[in-house]
Amino acid sequence: MHTPENLFSQTGLSIKGHMELNGNHEAVVEGCSGILEYGETVVRVCMPGHTVRFTGRGLNIQCLTADALVVTGYITGIEFLS
Amino acid sequence: MLSLKLSRWLLGYVRFDVHSGSPERFYTCCARSGAYLWDIKPGISGGACILARKYRTLRSNARRAGCRLKVTERRGLPFLLYRTRGHAGLWAGGAAFCLIVYLLSLRVWCIQMPDNNSIPREKLEAELASAGLTRGTLKSSIDPQAVSERIMLKFPDIRWMSVNLRGSAADIVIRCKTEKPKIADLKSICNIKASATGQILSMKIFAGTPAVKKGDAVTEGQLIVSAVVVDQSGGSTLTHASAEVTAETKHSFTVSVPMKKHEAVPTGRTLYRRNFEIFGARLPISLHGKPQGSWRISAEKFDVSLFGTPLPIGMYEERWEEVRVKDSLMTKSQARAAAEAEIMKQAKSAMKDGRVTGKKITEKWGKDNLTATALLNCEENIAREAEIYLK
Repeated sequence: MHTPENLFSQTGLSIKGHMELNGNHEAVVEGCSGILEYGETVVRVCMPGHTVRFTGRGLNIQCLTADALVVTGYITGIEFLS
Repeated sequence: MLSLKLSRWLLGYVRFDVHSGSPERFYTCCARSGAYLWDIKPGISGGACILARKYRTLRSNARRAGCRLKVTERRGLPFLLYRTRGHAGLWAGGAAFCLIVYLLSLRVWCIQMPDNNSIPREKLEAELASAGLTRGTLKSSIDPQAVSERIMLKFPDIRWMSVNLRGSAADIVIRCKTEKPKIADLKSICNIKASATGQILSMKIFAGTPAVKKGDAVTEGQLIVSAVVVDQSGGSTLTHASAEVTAETKHSFTVSVPMKKHEAVPTGRTLYRRNFEIFGARLPISLHGKPQGSWRISAEKFDVSLFGTPLPIGMYEERWEEVRVKDSLMTKSQARAAAEAEIMKQAKSAMKDGRVTGKKITEKWGKDNLTATALLNCEENIAREAEIYLK
């Protein structure tokens, strides 16, 4: 059985933190350290060691705390940038 | 989610816009400093929401990110209370409102009663009032069990009754008794005798031996059907005779009708006195006092109900119609009609299931009255049970 961390490891990525997707309209990101870019079509979030880029339409940050955020909207893509 | 919204509203929150600088940096700084932001809007003039007491902590983060903040909305209970700080009357009014609602909720304001034909509503209301259940009575002073027991004792027609107190309404539930059918006493021995003098038109014998036949003339008290039944072997048995005997009878009635009559004639002047009822108190909304003279009064009550629940408000309207007592003389035809109506009324009460087939009325006109004597030909059931007592 592959845990999410192992799955990312197999793809060559080493990701720390936790991300949970609810369909394609909500993403809960835990362990983020800041927002790099925020617009209606793109949200770039800084994670330890890499960056996650959400693309879509009508994106919105529902709530933000020191180490977590919730992105809502019509998410069409998630990219992991090192 | 609702509890989250409620707690935010209770604590109070502000919505602010972020202008110029780097909003992303600002949001990141806020998050790192421990400020909890929600509903963050993107764009140049985007903004977010934060608890009102935390807003001041955002200033240093805004300076660091080169942003300017502008509060656009203030929401929640603290702001609502702050707006009313200079209006002591509002606070007093709110407190008075809460107090009045609390005090009113301690009493019964609506009594819901089912429409019942066997027990008049007015009588039931009066009895409930004497049992201590009226509009405005303290709920704590009402014992539903005692009230229902008292009402059931007062009205024997009630089989079961319940008084349910729901909020400020008392719901009365009543179940009436079903009348027992009359059971014929067939154990006793009785003859059938004639209840009136007449000529027999038809006979239906259910039990017993007929003593007369169709077409015979009988006098009052004469034996029609005997209880003694003789069988084929010559033995006799006693039974409860039963029969339906229709006979042509004659009845005489005399009535006297006065020619003078006193009647109240409306003059055409009417007056309405209206009262507004609220919580059992009647507030007059018409300026008319009680008029002098002869008046005929009729009253009507309008209750207001909401979704089938009567409210403790309504309208009570009295209609006063002025009348003048007038002595008038009846014409001969009017007197004749009145006499005939009275005769038919007496005949109906004398014969329960009979009918009048012919009548002959003789009139005697007095100075101020008419005496009418009617001889009625009737058809009626003259069978009357006469019990035989055996030792």
